[in-house]
Amino acid sequence: MAVHERVRDFYRNELIEIQYADLFKEERLIHSSQGADIRVEYPAGAPVSEVINFCSNNYLGLSNHPAVLEAARKGLDERGFGMSSVRFICGTQDRHRELEAKIAHFLGMEDAILYSSCFDANGGVFESLLSEEDALISDELNHASIIDGIRLCKADRHRYKHADMRDLEHHLKQTQNKRFRMIVTDGVFSMDGVVADLESICNLAEEYDALVMVDDSHATGFVGPTGRGTHEHHDVMGRVDIITTTFGKALGGASGGCIAGEQVFIDLLRQRSRPYLFSNTVSPVVVAATIAAIDLLEHSGDLRKKLMENAAMFRRDIRAAGFEIKDGFHPIVPVMLHDAGVVQSMARDLFAEGIYVIGFFYPVVPRGAARIRVQLSAAHETHHIEKAVAAFANVGKKLKAV
Amino acid sequence: MAYSEKTRSHYGTELGSIRTAGLFKEERSITSAQGSRITVEYPPGSPGKEVINLCANNYLGLSSHPAVVEAAHRGLDTHGFGMSSVRFICGTQDIHRELEAKLSQFLETEDTVLFPSCMEANAGLFDVVLDKDDAMIADRLVHASIVDGMRLCKAQLYNYKHMNMAHLEEKLQETQECRFRMVITDGVFSMDGDIAPLEAICDLADKYDAMVMVDDSHSTGFLGKRGKGTHEHCGVLGRIDAITTTLGKALGGAAGGCVSGRKEIAELCRQRARPYLFSNTVPPSVIAASIKVIDLISQSTERRNKLEENTKYFREKMTAAGLDIRPGVHPIVPVMLYNAKLAQNVSRELYEEGIYAVGFFFPVVPQGAARIRVQISADHEKEQLDKAVAAFAKIGAKYNIIGKKKDEVIATYGL
Repeated sequence: MAVHERVRDFYRNELIEIQYADLFKEERLIHSSQGADIRVEYPAGAPVSEVINFCSNNYLGLSNHPAVLEAARKGLDERGFGMSSVRFICGTQDRHRELEAKIAHFLGMEDAILYSSCFDANGGVFESLLSEEDALISDELNHASIIDGIRLCKADRHRYKHADMRDLEHHLKQTQNKRFRMIVTDGVFSMDGVVADLESICNLAEEYDALVMVDDSHATGFVGPTGRGTHEHHDVMGRVDIITTTFGKALGGASGGCIAGEQVFIDLLRQRSRPYLFSNTVSPVVVAATIAAIDLLEHSGDLRKKLMENAAMFRRDIRAAGFEIKDGFHPIVPVMLHDAGVVQSMARDLFAEGIYVIGFFYPVVPRGAARIRVQLSAAHETHHIEKAVAAFANVGKKLKAV
Repeated sequence: MAYSEKTRSHYGTELGSIRTAGLFKEERSITSAQGSRITVEYPPGSPGKEVINLCANNYLGLSSHPAVVEAAHRGLDTHGFGMSSVRFICGTQDIHRELEAKLSQFLETEDTVLFPSCMEANAGLFDVVLDKDDAMIADRLVHASIVDGMRLCKAQLYNYKHMNMAHLEEKLQETQECRFRMVITDGVFSMDGDIAPLEAICDLADKYDAMVMVDDSHSTGFLGKRGKGTHEHCGVLGRIDAITTTLGKALGGAAGGCVSGRKEIAELCRQRARPYLFSNTVPPSVIAASIKVIDLISQSTERRNKLEENTKYFREKMTAAGLDIRPGVHPIVPVMLYNAKLAQNVSRELYEEGIYAVGFFFPVVPQGAARIRVQISADHEKEQLDKAVAAFAKIGAKYNIIGKKKDEVIATYGL
């Protein structure tokens, strides 16, 4: 045994410090499928309680949609469980290619390449395409996986202030001597539900001859008139060079992600991208179900419409109940309470009332910007939303937070 | 669109040079489930061809095992398709914890934390447990995902010559000033099938007060008498501080990985490992099937025994047929051809004979060490292995390499 008490003690202390700082993440065990009504054991050992889920990325309610489940079953029967191989050895099925073509078409891009997660897609995109002679210019609030991907890339790193186009332009001017520049942004920022100003970004990119890369994980499937994402919402389809996105949120929510873009990018990523080359791709069951999810969205806008109506209803009613929320239309609705202590009490008491939401506070969001992040889903019915608003009002009054 | 002719032509040229260097990776579409016999469409557009698969990590033949597929179906029924959330928000089900407990029990460790893949387990682990005051001392040939994980960690990086214990000791002596040291190795190295000398590594770690981390992706489920992995095979159960391994090879082969070891290390990963915190975990159907897999291999060693027999049989027959294979006991059997072009030709002609095995050459293996990497499965029947040996013998005769030593092959074909 090489871990001596010295090492053990050190790690134990680290854990205790996390607890003291109130940053300890406790997981709640769900005893059901994902959905609007779920069964949760919390705290550990407590009897299972039925709660309404307002904190999943199950935007379109596809995580357990009958058509998606049916396709998953067929996928298992027709293509088996695992590939036990990476793509370029013997881990590619016809269905993987089919999904790549479908998602590329859905996003309006030339081709797409699958990854085991969007985390891996972001981990593998930059290093494969850019090197020392190039520069990355990234929004300061981009997702952790983008930050890690950028850390693995040799290009010069520049950060612009969140959504600040003047600062972005300043960095574009500073990097004129670089071979290639790439502007990197989340399509939707997950803490605020704020949509990146892709029109201005694309304009600047064209003016300064830079590439544009967007992580559209919180948009693919439901943002934009036909749900294609933030590029459709801002009417810049065809002007974004690279989109990374996930199948782990709106599109069924199991796992997997992709990079979509011009053919030559995708071809090069297949040859060089480390997470693609050195890890199994998405498993057959998930591939089959994701194909069904995309087909469903290509044929009907009903789920998207319902999601947007639910978001609008919650936004209207929670405001009417006296709460401050961040403006917008996105199904991510940050209910601003500012104080970390209030947020924690609020989340706990809401859970007792049967409403499952999560509070976010420093260091995840800035100090004084603590919030409950509510996420709406097409799986919610009117009665779910009414119950949530009533519970917010009730608990808010009790905590004097309204 | 800022994508200009300049960028297009640059990336086009890069692709061209990959092709010219003979390094272009072409994927073959499989139109069946994974198994010892698969249907492949290659080249694209041609009719499906049935071949014997000798290149999957499907060591235990569980990738399409009826009981495993059945368990995945049940998982869909009871726990749905997707979680649409990360673990600490609303992406943890009772079965995730159940699988973590089963893995700890199987690997004989204190605790286990699941990751979406072993690539992400390796990417997340080091950054969590080590800092700039610490040192990582890694075998030179560790897997790419470990290399990436170490790149994301601030600790100082040292490499030791592949499986060279004297050199490892030198590095341990060099780093005495560091707060914590971690010796980092693959349990089994995937290109050669060679097994890390974990007993010697653990002894050195004890002597120099260092931790030991092992990526056991190519051994969990079948190496060691009860298939627990390299640590069982080497007699060091309980002495490894962090094992990373995959559910994507022998254990069903769909997806997922884990860090398993000291409970403080696992818990810190839950609190801090970035791929764990910021990515969905393994989906319910894969969890349900993986639980079934652990149950199957905990109850019976039948499949690992058959894999061991198949490996021994294939290695003996190949040697008897005059092929040059790397000695060893692992189901990874490198058939040495030394020359890259020769390896590619032999692979292509094997495929024509109905045998699917892939050639590896520089830069994946050193220059002059090109090979066909055969991987044996418990799913293979003797007649399939016989057919494979016959095909190797036939093609080997055609290229006049039967019974030939390394120098003779290189004399004929060059490096």
